[in-house]
Amino acid sequence: MSTTTSRRQGRLGSVLRAVPAWAYVILSAAVVLPPVAWIFSTSLKTASDTLEFPPRWIPDPLSFEGYLGLLTSTNSRFFINSLIYAVGSIVLALSISIPAAYVATRYRSRRMETLMTGILVLSMVPAIVVFIALYSMFVRTALINTYPLLIVVYTAIICGQTILFLRNFIENIPVEIEEAAAIDGCSRVQILWRIILPLIRPGIAAVAIFIFVFVWNDFLVGTVLATTEDMKTVQNGIVRYITTGFGSFWGLFAAFIVVAFIPVLSIFLAFQRWFVAGMTSGGVKG
Amino acid sequence: MSTNSRTRTSSQTATPPTGVQAFRRARKDRMVWLYVVPVTAVFLFVFVGPLIYTAWTALHETSYYQIGKFSGLNSFAELFADSELPARIWTTLVFSIGALVIALPAGLLSAIVLNNLHRFKRSIRSLFLLPWLLSQATAGTIWLWFLNPNYGPASAITQALGFGPTDVFSSPNSALVAVTLMTAWWSYPQAMLLFLGALQTIPVELYESLKVDGGGIRHAFLNVTLPHLRNTIVSVVIVLLMLYVQMVTIILVTTRGGPIGSTETLSMRVYNQMFDKFDLSGASATAILLFAVNIVLTLVAIRFRRKESL
Repeated sequence: MSTTTSRRQGRLGSVLRAVPAWAYVILSAAVVLPPVAWIFSTSLKTASDTLEFPPRWIPDPLSFEGYLGLLTSTNSRFFINSLIYAVGSIVLALSISIPAAYVATRYRSRRMETLMTGILVLSMVPAIVVFIALYSMFVRTALINTYPLLIVVYTAIICGQTILFLRNFIENIPVEIEEAAAIDGCSRVQILWRIILPLIRPGIAAVAIFIFVFVWNDFLVGTVLATTEDMKTVQNGIVRYITTGFGSFWGLFAAFIVVAFIPVLSIFLAFQRWFVAGMTSGGVKG
Repeated sequence: MSTNSRTRTSSQTATPPTGVQAFRRARKDRMVWLYVVPVTAVFLFVFVGPLIYTAWTALHETSYYQIGKFSGLNSFAELFADSELPARIWTTLVFSIGALVIALPAGLLSAIVLNNLHRFKRSIRSLFLLPWLLSQATAGTIWLWFLNPNYGPASAITQALGFGPTDVFSSPNSALVAVTLMTAWWSYPQAMLLFLGALQTIPVELYESLKVDGGGIRHAFLNVTLPHLRNTIVSVVIVLLMLYVQMVTIILVTTRGGPIGSTETLSMRVYNQMFDKFDLSGASATAILLFAVNIVLTLVAIRFRRKESL
């Protein structure tokens, strides 16, 4: 987002030209914000006020009973589980995709390219296709509904994008640095560990952010492969209110959504640039 | 990009030091394959194995996830004889194309607007990105609550206008429209980000020379922006179509494929056959059909990837 670009185009455009743009922004806000604002408003209402009709947008009286009601052991379990899945996937995905990305960038061969294309193609297979097989394969074994299985599945789903993204980073490192290290007697493992790893730290951070958000926001893996409530994820926790809820659960539901969104939102606000870079790396580059 | 590192080393001085030679020789050795063993193992376990298993179960009778005797292509025959299949394919098409037709222009327009703004750029980008930051499950359920016929604000608005409550999820057509719109709402920022990246690679000089020649905004868009984005548009179409074809979550949390199957896309059908009807071989057959659709999309994606860089 070069500033010169916008400045030059700014000269092109006049004040009049900005009017349709701002009209579009206002229209977008009108489409994007209402459901989000409505959830936020609901989360601050008393249980009886959530069922008031016609609805009131500003909660009166302001109530935190939705948030306080979240503090149950089931709910905290959802958050702990999602955290375990996310951290586990970050560690596993990075430790298997950094070496792969490194050799795929530096030791190119026809076979290596075939393998990498294979991995990319496989990671585009619809998740539901492999999930039904994974479920029926493991439903009778002790492996279903365990942290390792879910972490491996999450890792496999994101690995293709992770490797692709890290390869772009490694490609930008001058190969002369590695050659100099080789002259000084560094082995390949040492080159990867002492030279490549420190140089691709921003890439690793972006990938870690991407994996965290992916795992945190994923609903389907938890739904299919975590079969008991105590292994489910945050997203399952959100939907649980709708599927099993009775009475006026909407305040709790809304508060749960707000709390579940806080980690993603704060990561986004803190690392906007890396966040966007990591999240778009997966798509077909254009 | 792909030959970058290779040419750089080979074009060096004629007599490289011995260390460099050793380094280059080392590049050829087989040990490099050790580095890809873990990732290959994970992919064999999560993708290759299950895909083979899916084909296997599709060729067998199953009851409650237990594989019975070999049944040949029976489950495929059943799949294609199913009178509901055309309706499911139609639903998938309406859902995917419908969401695409909304998300693609919305994404492009948002990217162009964002690219031309000078003030509040960060806040407005956050605003545009907001739906996509929410999880799919959140996006689905917050709309469910917003459109709630008894207590939702949407209902209050339609009632005030004299239309009665917004009971969108109870009638087949409106449910499909609602699910499609919600999916477009959630996914357009993804298109926007891809377009935004591509827009920044267009040289500003092109716009300037066009301005010197007296071209307007419309000319700039038609003669500079669109031609430059041609490949990106194809990429975005593929990315979005893949996303929509395999979309389960948003449908699952709102309608579960109902009412009377009106929102059951192929992916949703796989889920329902598996977890509602406990019909593993049927679900596998549908999954393979879905997989075939996905392969076509992937092949197109790879063609376009090759042209750019991998």
